[in-house]
Amino acid sequence: MAETKGGKPISASQQTTGTDKAVVTRRQFFRRKKVCRFCVEKIDDIDYKDVKLLSAFITERGRIIPRRLSGVCSPHQRRLSNAIKQARNIALLPFTTR
Amino acid sequence: MRIYEQLFIVRPDAAEPEIDSFLEQITGVITSAGGKVEKLDKWGIRKLAYRVEKRHEGFYVLLQYSSKPDVVKEIERRFRVSDLVMKYLTVRIDQKLKWLEKRKRQREQRARQKPAAEPAAIPGEPVAQE
Repeated sequence: MAETKGGKPISASQQTTGTDKAVVTRRQFFRRKKVCRFCVEKIDDIDYKDVKLLSAFITERGRIIPRRLSGVCSPHQRRLSNAIKQARNIALLPFTTR
Repeated sequence: MRIYEQLFIVRPDAAEPEIDSFLEQITGVITSAGGKVEKLDKWGIRKLAYRVEKRHEGFYVLLQYSSKPDVVKEIERRFRVSDLVMKYLTVRIDQKLKWLEKRKRQREQRARQKPAAEPAAIPGEPVAQE
Protein backbone atom coordinates (compact mmCIF):
# COMPACT_ATOMS: atom_id res chain seq x y z
CA MET A 1 0.00 0.00 0.00
CA ALA A 2 2.61 2.45 1.11
CA GLU A 3 4.81 1.54 -1.79
CA THR A 4 2.12 2.03 -4.37
CA LYS A 5 1.00 5.26 -2.75
CA GLY A 6 4.54 6.55 -2.61
CA GLY A 7 5.40 5.32 -6.06
CA LYS A 8 2.38 6.56 -7.98
CA PRO A 9 2.32 10.29 -7.29
CA ILE A 10 6.00 10.71 -7.97
CA SER A 11 6.02 8.76 -11.19
CA ALA A 12 2.78 10.38 -12.34
CA SER A 13 3.99 13.89 -11.67
CA GLN A 14 7.30 13.18 -13.33
CA GLN A 15 5.65 11.63 -16.33
CA THR A 16 3.14 14.40 -16.83
CA THR A 17 5.73 17.12 -16.67
CA GLY A 18 8.04 15.18 -18.94
CA THR A 19 5.44 14.29 -21.55
CA ASP A 20 3.86 17.73 -21.47
CA LYS A 21 7.12 19.35 -22.37
CA ALA A 22 7.82 16.77 -25.03
CA VAL A 23 4.37 17.20 -26.58
CA VAL A 24 4.65 20.97 -26.61
CA THR A 25 8.07 20.98 -28.18
CA ARG A 26 7.15 18.27 -30.66
CA ARG A 27 4.03 20.12 -31.70
CA GLN A 28 5.93 23.32 -32.23
CA PHE A 29 8.47 21.43 -34.22
CA PHE A 30 6.11 19.50 -36.45
CA ARG A 31 3.29 21.93 -36.94
CA ARG A 32 3.67 23.61 -40.25
CA LYS A 33 1.08 25.89 -41.67
CA LYS A 34 -0.63 24.14 -44.54
CA VAL A 35 -1.23 26.25 -47.59
CA CYS A 36 -3.67 25.70 -50.37
CA ARG A 37 -1.85 24.27 -53.34
CA PHE A 38 -4.22 25.89 -55.81
CA CYS A 39 -3.69 29.32 -54.29
CA VAL A 40 0.09 28.93 -54.29
CA GLU A 41 0.40 27.58 -57.81
CA LYS A 42 -2.37 29.90 -59.02
CA ILE A 43 -4.44 27.17 -60.60
CA ASP A 44 -7.83 28.70 -61.31
CA ASP A 45 -9.17 25.99 -63.51
CA ILE A 46 -9.66 22.73 -61.64
CA ASP A 47 -10.67 20.57 -64.55
CA TYR A 48 -12.32 17.18 -64.24
CA LYS A 49 -10.22 15.93 -67.16
CA ASP A 50 -6.96 16.52 -65.33
CA VAL A 51 -6.65 13.10 -63.74
CA LYS A 52 -3.06 13.60 -62.66
CA LEU A 53 -3.94 16.63 -60.55
CA LEU A 54 -7.14 15.22 -59.11
CA SER A 55 -5.64 11.89 -58.16
CA ALA A 56 -3.35 13.71 -55.74
CA PHE A 57 -6.45 14.59 -53.72
CA ILE A 58 -8.02 11.18 -53.36
CA THR A 59 -6.96 8.35 -51.10
CA GLU A 60 -5.90 4.94 -52.29
CA ARG A 61 -9.43 3.82 -51.72
CA GLY A 62 -10.74 6.59 -53.95
CA ARG A 63 -12.13 8.86 -51.23
CA ILE A 64 -11.76 12.62 -51.41
CA ILE A 65 -9.12 13.83 -48.96
CA PRO A 66 -10.69 16.24 -46.44
CA ARG A 67 -9.60 19.84 -46.33
CA ARG A 68 -8.21 19.54 -42.83
CA LEU A 69 -5.66 17.03 -44.10
CA SER A 70 -4.78 18.49 -47.47
CA GLY A 71 -4.89 22.16 -46.45
CA VAL A 72 -6.87 23.25 -49.50
CA CYS A 73 -8.88 26.44 -48.95
CA SER A 74 -12.63 26.12 -48.98
CA PRO A 75 -13.43 27.75 -52.35
CA HIS A 76 -10.89 25.52 -54.03
CA GLN A 77 -11.99 22.43 -52.14
CA ARG A 78 -15.51 23.02 -53.42
CA ARG A 79 -14.33 23.20 -56.99
CA LEU A 80 -12.00 20.29 -56.45
CA SER A 81 -14.68 18.02 -55.05
CA ASN A 82 -17.03 18.91 -57.90
CA ALA A 83 -14.31 18.10 -60.41
CA ILE A 84 -13.57 14.78 -58.72
CA LYS A 85 -17.24 13.85 -58.78
CA GLN A 86 -17.48 14.68 -62.47
CA ALA A 87 -14.38 12.65 -63.20
CA ARG A 88 -15.89 9.71 -61.31
CA ASN A 89 -18.97 9.91 -63.44
CA ILE A 90 -17.06 9.39 -66.65
CA ALA A 91 -14.82 6.63 -65.26
CA LEU A 92 -11.66 8.73 -65.07
CA LEU A 93 -11.51 8.23 -61.30
CA PRO A 94 -12.87 5.38 -59.22
CA PHE A 95 -15.81 5.63 -56.85
CA THR A 96 -14.17 2.98 -54.72
CA THR A 97 -11.37 0.54 -55.17
CA ARG A 98 -11.06 -2.59 -53.21
CA MET B 1 -25.80 30.16 -77.60
CA ARG B 2 -24.04 28.22 -74.93
CA ILE B 3 -20.79 26.35 -74.94
CA TYR B 4 -20.89 22.71 -73.99
CA GLU B 5 -18.31 20.09 -73.48
CA GLN B 6 -19.08 16.45 -73.90
CA LEU B 7 -16.77 13.66 -72.96
CA PHE B 8 -17.98 10.25 -73.95
CA ILE B 9 -16.68 6.72 -74.02
CA VAL B 10 -17.04 4.66 -77.17
CA ARG B 11 -16.76 0.89 -77.13
CA PRO B 12 -13.07 0.02 -77.54
CA ASP B 13 -13.70 -2.81 -79.98
CA ALA B 14 -15.46 -0.53 -82.45
CA ALA B 15 -13.67 -0.01 -85.76
CA GLU B 16 -12.12 3.39 -86.46
CA PRO B 17 -14.29 4.15 -89.53
CA GLU B 18 -17.37 3.25 -87.52
CA ILE B 19 -16.46 5.81 -84.86
CA ASP B 20 -15.65 8.43 -87.47
CA SER B 21 -18.99 8.04 -89.21
CA PHE B 22 -20.76 8.30 -85.87
CA LEU B 23 -18.85 11.47 -85.02
CA GLU B 24 -19.78 12.89 -88.41
CA GLN B 25 -23.43 12.25 -87.63
CA ILE B 26 -23.10 14.08 -84.33
CA THR B 27 -21.27 17.06 -85.81
CA GLY B 28 -23.93 17.11 -88.54
CA VAL B 29 -26.62 17.45 -85.88
CA ILE B 30 -24.79 20.39 -84.32
CA THR B 31 -24.06 22.31 -87.51
CA SER B 32 -27.53 21.76 -89.00
CA ALA B 33 -29.06 23.27 -85.85
CA GLY B 34 -26.90 26.38 -86.20
CA GLY B 35 -24.25 25.35 -83.70
CA LYS B 36 -20.54 25.23 -84.16
CA VAL B 37 -18.07 22.48 -83.30
CA GLU B 38 -15.11 24.04 -81.56
CA LYS B 39 -13.06 21.06 -80.63
CA LEU B 40 -13.14 17.39 -81.46
CA ASP B 41 -10.46 15.44 -79.74
CA LYS B 42 -10.01 11.69 -79.80
CA TRP B 43 -8.08 10.63 -76.73
CA GLY B 44 -7.90 7.04 -77.84
CA ILE B 45 -8.21 3.92 -75.72
CA ARG B 46 -7.75 4.46 -72.00
CA LYS B 47 -8.19 2.30 -68.97
CA LEU B 48 -11.41 2.90 -67.10
CA ALA B 49 -11.40 3.50 -63.36
CA TYR B 50 -14.17 0.95 -62.96
CA ARG B 51 -15.97 -1.57 -65.08
CA VAL B 52 -18.53 -0.23 -67.53
CA GLU B 53 -20.64 -2.65 -69.54
CA LYS B 54 -18.27 -5.44 -68.52
CA ARG B 55 -15.31 -3.66 -70.06
CA HIS B 56 -12.16 -2.26 -68.50
CA GLU B 57 -11.14 -0.04 -71.39
CA GLY B 58 -12.81 2.63 -73.42
CA PHE B 59 -12.23 4.94 -76.35
CA TYR B 60 -12.57 8.50 -75.06
CA VAL B 61 -13.76 11.32 -77.28
CA LEU B 62 -13.93 14.96 -76.23
CA LEU B 63 -16.34 17.19 -78.08
CA GLN B 64 -16.69 20.90 -77.49
CA TYR B 65 -19.31 22.97 -79.26
CA SER B 66 -21.51 26.00 -78.96
CA SER B 67 -25.19 25.61 -79.61
CA LYS B 68 -28.69 26.08 -78.27
CA PRO B 69 -29.78 23.94 -75.34
CA ASP B 70 -32.11 21.66 -77.35
CA VAL B 71 -29.18 20.37 -79.40
CA VAL B 72 -27.76 18.82 -76.25
CA LYS B 73 -31.00 16.97 -75.72
CA GLU B 74 -30.87 15.54 -79.23
CA ILE B 75 -27.23 14.51 -78.94
CA GLU B 76 -27.77 12.87 -75.58
CA ARG B 77 -30.71 10.99 -77.05
CA ARG B 78 -28.48 9.75 -79.84
CA PHE B 79 -25.83 8.69 -77.33
CA ARG B 80 -28.39 6.70 -75.42
CA VAL B 81 -29.76 5.03 -78.53
CA SER B 82 -26.40 4.19 -80.04
CA ASP B 83 -24.75 1.03 -78.76
CA LEU B 84 -21.35 2.53 -79.58
CA VAL B 85 -21.43 4.93 -76.66
CA MET B 86 -20.93 3.36 -73.25
CA LYS B 87 -21.03 6.50 -71.12
CA TYR B 88 -21.21 10.23 -71.60
CA LEU B 89 -20.89 13.42 -69.58
CA THR B 90 -22.16 16.82 -70.65
CA VAL B 91 -20.87 19.97 -68.99
CA ARG B 92 -21.90 23.52 -69.74
CA ILE B 93 -18.68 25.52 -69.72
CA ASP B 94 -19.46 29.02 -70.98
CA GLN B 95 -20.01 30.32 -67.43
CA LYS B 96 -16.81 28.67 -66.29
CA LEU B 97 -14.83 30.14 -69.19
CA LYS B 98 -16.21 33.57 -68.40
CA TRP B 99 -15.25 33.19 -64.75
CA LEU B 100 -11.77 32.01 -65.68
CA GLU B 101 -11.26 35.00 -67.92
CA LYS B 102 -12.36 37.31 -65.15
CA ARG B 103 -9.88 35.70 -62.77
CA LYS B 104 -7.14 36.01 -65.33
CA ARG B 105 -7.87 39.69 -65.80
CA GLN B 106 -7.80 40.23 -62.05
CA ARG B 107 -4.48 38.44 -61.83
CA GLU B 108 -3.00 40.61 -64.55
CA GLN B 109 -4.27 43.74 -62.93
CA ARG B 110 -2.74 42.74 -59.63
CA ALA B 111 0.53 41.94 -61.38
CA ARG B 112 0.51 45.38 -62.92
CA GLN B 113 -0.03 47.01 -59.55
CA LYS B 114 2.58 44.92 -57.80
CA PRO B 115 5.77 46.32 -59.39
CA ALA B 116 4.93 49.65 -57.80
CA ALA B 117 4.41 48.07 -54.39
CA GLU B 118 7.42 45.77 -54.45
CA PRO B 119 10.24 48.30 -53.93
CA ALA B 120 8.58 49.29 -50.68
CA ALA B 121 8.23 45.67 -49.58
CA ILE B 122 11.82 44.62 -50.22
CA PRO B 123 13.56 47.14 -47.92
CA GLY B 124 11.06 46.13 -45.24
CA GLU B 125 12.13 42.48 -45.26
CA PRO B 126 15.70 42.79 -43.91
CA VAL B 127 14.39 44.87 -41.04
CA ALA B 128 11.99 42.12 -40.11
CA GLN B 129 14.78 39.53 -40.19
CA GLU B 130 17.08 41.56 -37.99
